[in-house]
Amino acid sequence: MDRNRTHRNRKRLFRLLHLLAVFLTMSVICIPGLWIVLNSFRPTVEIMAKPPVWTPSFTLEHYRAMFGGAGEGGVPVFDYFRNSLIVSVTSTVIAILIGMSGGYAFARYRFRGKSGYFVGLMLFRAVPGVALSLPLFIVFARVGIIDTHFGLILAYVAMNVPFTIWLTDGFFRQIPKELHEAAEIDGCTRWQAFWKVEFPVARSGVASAAIFAFLTSWNEFALASQLTRSVGSKTMPVGLLDFTAEFTINWGGMCALAVLMIVPALILTFIVQKHLIAGLTFGGVKG
Amino acid sequence: MTRRRLPEWFVLLLPAIVVIAAVVLIPLIFSLYSSFTPYKLTRPSTLWRWVGTYNYEKILTDAKFWAAFGRTVLFLTVVLNLELLLGLGIALLMNRVTWGQRTLRTILMFPMMFSPILVGFQFKFIFNDNIGLVNNVLQSLGSDAALPWLVDGRLAMFSIMFAEIWMSTSVFAILILAGLFAMPRDPLEAAKVDGCTPWQTFRHITLPFLMPFIYIAMTIRSLDVARAYDIVQIMTGGGPARRTELLWTLMSRTGYVDARMGLANAMGYVSILLSILFTIYFFRKLSAARAEIGMAG
Amino acid sequence: MRKQYIAGALLAGTALAGSAIASDWGSFDGVTVEAKLIGGQQYEALYGRIAEWEAATGATVDIISKKSHFEIDKEIKSDMAAGTTDWCVGSNHSSFAPQYEGLYIDLNGMVPEDTIAEFVPGNIKASTVDGALLMLPRAQFDVSVLYYLKSNYEDADKAAAFKAEYGYDLAVPETWEQVRDQAIFFADPPNFYGTQYAGKDEAIVGRFYEMVVAEGGSYLDEEKKPVFNSEAGQRALQWFVDLYAAKAVPAGTTSYVWDDLGQGFASGTVALNLDWPGWAGFFNDPESSKAAGNVGVAIQPMGSVTRTGWSGHHGFSVTSDCPNKEAAVSLVTFLTSEDSQLAESAGGSLPTRTAVWKANVEAAQNGDDPYRAEALAAFAAGAEYAFAVPPIPEWGETTNIVFPELQAAIVGDKTVQQALDDAAEAVDELMRESGYY
Repeated sequence: MDRNRTHRNRKRLFRLLHLLAVFLTMSVICIPGLWIVLNSFRPTVEIMAKPPVWTPSFTLEHYRAMFGGAGEGGVPVFDYFRNSLIVSVTSTVIAILIGMSGGYAFARYRFRGKSGYFVGLMLFRAVPGVALSLPLFIVFARVGIIDTHFGLILAYVAMNVPFTIWLTDGFFRQIPKELHEAAEIDGCTRWQAFWKVEFPVARSGVASAAIFAFLTSWNEFALASQLTRSVGSKTMPVGLLDFTAEFTINWGGMCALAVLMIVPALILTFIVQKHLIAGLTFGGVKG
Repeated sequence: MTRRRLPEWFVLLLPAIVVIAAVVLIPLIFSLYSSFTPYKLTRPSTLWRWVGTYNYEKILTDAKFWAAFGRTVLFLTVVLNLELLLGLGIALLMNRVTWGQRTLRTILMFPMMFSPILVGFQFKFIFNDNIGLVNNVLQSLGSDAALPWLVDGRLAMFSIMFAEIWMSTSVFAILILAGLFAMPRDPLEAAKVDGCTPWQTFRHITLPFLMPFIYIAMTIRSLDVARAYDIVQIMTGGGPARRTELLWTLMSRTGYVDARMGLANAMGYVSILLSILFTIYFFRKLSAARAEIGMAG
Repeated sequence: MRKQYIAGALLAGTALAGSAIASDWGSFDGVTVEAKLIGGQQYEALYGRIAEWEAATGATVDIISKKSHFEIDKEIKSDMAAGTTDWCVGSNHSSFAPQYEGLYIDLNGMVPEDTIAEFVPGNIKASTVDGALLMLPRAQFDVSVLYYLKSNYEDADKAAAFKAEYGYDLAVPETWEQVRDQAIFFADPPNFYGTQYAGKDEAIVGRFYEMVVAEGGSYLDEEKKPVFNSEAGQRALQWFVDLYAAKAVPAGTTSYVWDDLGQGFASGTVALNLDWPGWAGFFNDPESSKAAGNVGVAIQPMGSVTRTGWSGHHGFSVTSDCPNKEAAVSLVTFLTSEDSQLAESAGGSLPTRTAVWKANVEAAQNGDDPYRAEALAAFAAGAEYAFAVPPIPEWGETTNIVFPELQAAIVGDKTVQQALDDAAEAVDELMRESGYY
């Protein structure tokens, strides 16, 4: 009885500590981010105040200004948002298709130098964006795809394909070969067998690869700043710099645009959350 | 009729190879070539003058370059290891949470929604010594210190590392969490029956199972650590007095501001080599760990 | 800032409506002029006027790029590397212009001489490299003057304490020597600082450069040999070091560039601040600044020989590869015309045309905004001492060599002499490599 009680108390204490730890962790993760959100609703004078103002007042001024006309604090938000959306979604879809086909090749075929190909593909992802941006620009400029959605999409597809291959490869491997052999016996073509049998099983892996690819493209700056120029192609991370001038920076405005960047990504992540974990679980390791 | 002879696997891989060749390989060849020239952006004709290994000799004998190189290795080592430890800790915490998992996991991924350039601005303001959030909090708590977060040699390294860790620990946490979810229950039950302490269970059962996930996370992260460039560039620009100078900031300043692309590309190649070494190292660890728990394929 | 000047903008707007018809911008029916313009709030208002030029000439302007200051510089250099320079009009800056060798045409001969004569001669000189007028200046002229918190000079106790300690009356400083004394006197870290300065990149080198000049030295000699490690140079750098050592500047000052400095002064915790015209409105706007209502503006102080006055200005250039240079020149002339400058400087920036200076100063004196009048008077007086950076392509590169050394001296890693000698040695090597001697 007594032992039981101490045991229960210890358990309760442990639960409390655990809760506290979770809470602290979440705070460290959230506070710097929430600070941005908060600042987007505060007047500039308060953001930079010293001594600090701990009880924030609320204003929509930064948002109003952002959607206002040029020269009054306005930036072409809708254009940037549209560009970001087009580029991120298209490049994600294409990267998934290409990556899936590559992953399938690695999982289902035997060929010489397979691991060499694999590591090779991964290594291309390791090239730092800042080392790549100028040579890439020169090549793209020669071809004439600077300042187009297409150019940026192409660059992001290349960035995201290796990781997609990796994840989907793991997935296809764990699907028994017999499954699609059975389907083929039933009269499916290989193509049909793939879509009907193998793809549904790999769906989670695809979803998690997709969210990683999407977030990478959505937030990428180094290449985008080099490959885009006009409002017709500039993405939101590049648009952030519209709030800086030679000597000044409009921090509140920048925060407001940042919030518009974060919210869609957050919603999307929440929606695919279930698939995300499942996808990573099987995709990465069981290769 | 050559088309017929292409093996199927190759056809499937072809799009990936083509895209990567177009976007990465060709530019890389170009920049490799230009690293042997005195290429200056504003004087395109300099691209055709061959100077052999002059640029490489110049950087390899430059103490500033080696200081930046060493600092980059230090930065990568500290950052990746801390991210791993913190990520592991967070994943273990999250794994025990029984309610609101989906929401908490989304919050956990919150920093991944932030563009690195935004993270840079954000922490530049947070660590501002005069009006920044951190010093404001410290001063409100009664300290009268205005810590020069972005100036003092150690604090500045700490600040950029903190920003980088804040942004990227989520990747580790989420991948390791995925590993914990995949963990079979039986060995854990068995260990309990055998009277293992929680630490023993963790050390001998959980951790070995997680190793492949950890190395995957390491590999993925080592692939794109150079994203830290955006952060460092905005927070300190490598300063003051080169105290936070990393290869990437040095390279971009040489290439774009000084317009000496040939020299910058030579540095670029050294940094690419560094990334590749890190990646290959983790790949080997990954294969070894996979083999250990019998998942090799 | 916005609210205050709306009235001015409206005034200028009606003024130009009348005169725009009078000017002849030529006729370029069906021509498209591709332009790369600097983006950012304070630069955008002018671009609204482009439609007027389009209507007058029948041409269309296609803005193919709009980016912030350093981003557009990077882009133009990339363009030169890739050979994609067949666009027509580009935003330019006096500090960047010498770098773009061969990119832009000489506007002498393309623009009538009497038009050129209407600009402030100093600005035209700073836009000219090796005899070629590479850009026409727009109403974005930058020179720094001293912003200060007025309350510090209205406190009798402070004045008495200061006099007791330093032996002269406390007044808005006339010399950098006095700035040092007062900054140390006012400072109460971490709550209040005497002054602050830009601490990295080109910014600190520019500040150092103007101090060297004010102390009677120079940065490079006639041969382009670095001579900033002279005694004047050491005195100049010592000023930065002293303030840092006395904690009269924020400890983070070596990581600051312009935005941090402006925000710092706006937070009301810095007594004296040498800063640019772009901030004038911001500092006195209660929406953005805690110092609003307490801001004084005075001419920049002197070194032991002359006043500081590092300056620069924005402008527009026409590329050599432009297919229709007449149209491009017409657009550039339009964007820098008297009407355009009146409109743009109504937003608070400084003009580069003599007549617009006069008109603005007069309007401010007759206006009901004493702060604006005070600021404009200070800038007008300060502009007299303005000088540009050495017009060589390597200027930017030298700053990248010099600034870490300056920082090293400031934070105490090196002595002043050693830091300057090391920097001079590296710049010397660069100049030799670039073939100057």
